[in-house]
Amino acid sequence: MIPQAVQDCWYPLAMAALTGPYPGRATQLLGQPIRVFRDAAGTIRVQGDAGADLPVILRFGHVWACPGTPQRDLFTIPEADHPGRRLVDCGVVRVKCSPLRAVENFLDIAHFPFVHTDILGAEPHTEVGRYEVHIREDTDEVWATKVRFHQPQAAMSAEGGIETEYMYRVPAPTAAVLYKTCPARPGDWDVIGIFVQPLTEELCDVWPWMALYDDVTPQAALIQFQQMIFLQDRSILENQIPRLLPLDPGMEIPTQADLTSVAYRRWLKRKGLTYGAQMVAA
Amino acid sequence: MKTGGRVTNWVANGLSRDVVAGVVVPGRWQGVDLAIWRSATGVLRAWKDRCPHRGMRLSHGFVRGEGLSCIYHGWTYGTDGRCRSIPAHPDLVPPAAIRAEALDCAEADGVIWVAGAGEAGPLPAVTGLVPLRSLALHALPGQIAAALPGLRLFPGGLRGVVVLGGIQTSLCLLLQELARGQTMIHALCGPQDDPVAVSRGLEDLRRSIEQGVAA
Ligand code: FES
Ligand SMILES: [Fe+2]
Repeated sequence: MIPQAVQDCWYPLAMAALTGPYPGRATQLLGQPIRVFRDAAGTIRVQGDAGADLPVILRFGHVWACPGTPQRDLFTIPEADHPGRRLVDCGVVRVKCSPLRAVENFLDIAHFPFVHTDILGAEPHTEVGRYEVHIREDTDEVWATKVRFHQPQAAMSAEGGIETEYMYRVPAPTAAVLYKTCPARPGDWDVIGIFVQPLTEELCDVWPWMALYDDVTPQAALIQFQQMIFLQDRSILENQIPRLLPLDPGMEIPTQADLTSVAYRRWLKRKGLTYGAQMVAA
Repeated sequence: MKTGGRVTNWVANGLSRDVVAGVVVPGRWQGVDLAIWRSATGVLRAWKDRCPHRGMRLSHGFVRGEGLSCIYHGWTYGTDGRCRSIPAHPDLVPPAAIRAEALDCAEADGVIWVAGAGEAGPLPAVTGLVPLRSLALHALPGQIAAALPGLRLFPGGLRGVVVLGGIQTSLCLLLQELARGQTMIHALCGPQDDPVAVSRGLEDLRRSIEQGVAA
């Protein structure tokens, strides 16, 4: 029932540091019950209902597992290893929406002035200029570059409005990474990711994660800032109709500002990654 | 609602005074979620609760002047339903094909009525009664009717003279089916009736019906 291509991907399931001994975290993946725990030897394991172990990777502070047969390694974020960065796990946000809608929303900037008012955007600075979108042939990832947007308060370490530049990257069907101008270090990028765990086609756990050049702001404030942003997004995501992401054109009306979303949807469709998607206009 | 051979598509969706200028509220007509809003100059509209851009509920949006804006990306629709601005592209004139999907709506006797576009019959008359309040119940319209045998069905709901909270009152309950087995009652009463007493009577009624449904 669930396409093989979907089964063969890697999915985030927990924060490694918070994974305790059996029974650990009892959760769901692609509609199936699943358990994440640390065994007697201290190894983190992921088991399905029948007790069989799934392939596991620990990366970016999170536990990733593949319910099928992994066709490739989990993506990497080389920037995260640069010295001087702070890695921040932001906990988890449960959202009653398609995991694909959660990723698509993360790729979207046009909503900043209306959903993250006076934080990530503000009227009248609503224009989304032309930017570039392409599929990277070597890694088969969706990339959007040269995205620029006016931002009243781009990050905790930013004061006053600035023009912020972004790059967006979709390295896996339910993960997205954004690179944004770093107010503290011009020329460098802050890196923010969301790792989305598909519990079902209409329910997901979103794990935001950051790798920042910011050694001023207290950890709690950084996490609180990110959580506030995601709670604002949640009020949108739980109120989109239909709940599944429409992959066929005709149901929704994209404009030039939606080029990343269009590319993401096409990429999902071409690869048969349809869990959380709807193919025919309802 | 089908009553006595007469068919009307009008469903009460609120009391006029609860939807003031500049406000948008959720509505529902025959299983379809709606956004009902009133412009600054008082024009009332009932639309499907779905923005054509990316499907966000329009009932979460905001009214500015004579337009309703979607909360997600700020696309704004005029009272004619046409999209008239896309903030991400301020210089773009939106194509005429981008529009909100409208249902018919009308107001009479302080009640907001909604019907499928172009298929409505005459408005149910509730003349001579005064709007009291709206309240939601965990019960189906049939269960509400069964609890009030003194009322008779008419297009739009139930009406008649009953004793409520120990007081005789001319009651009209306009019934609107919501999702998940809930019904919204839009209540009107006689001009001489004590609104506070009737209102309290309705709350007692709700309690007893919901207990009956749960039992
Ligand atoms: S979904 Fe309504 S403006 Fe984008
Ligand atoms: Fe957002």
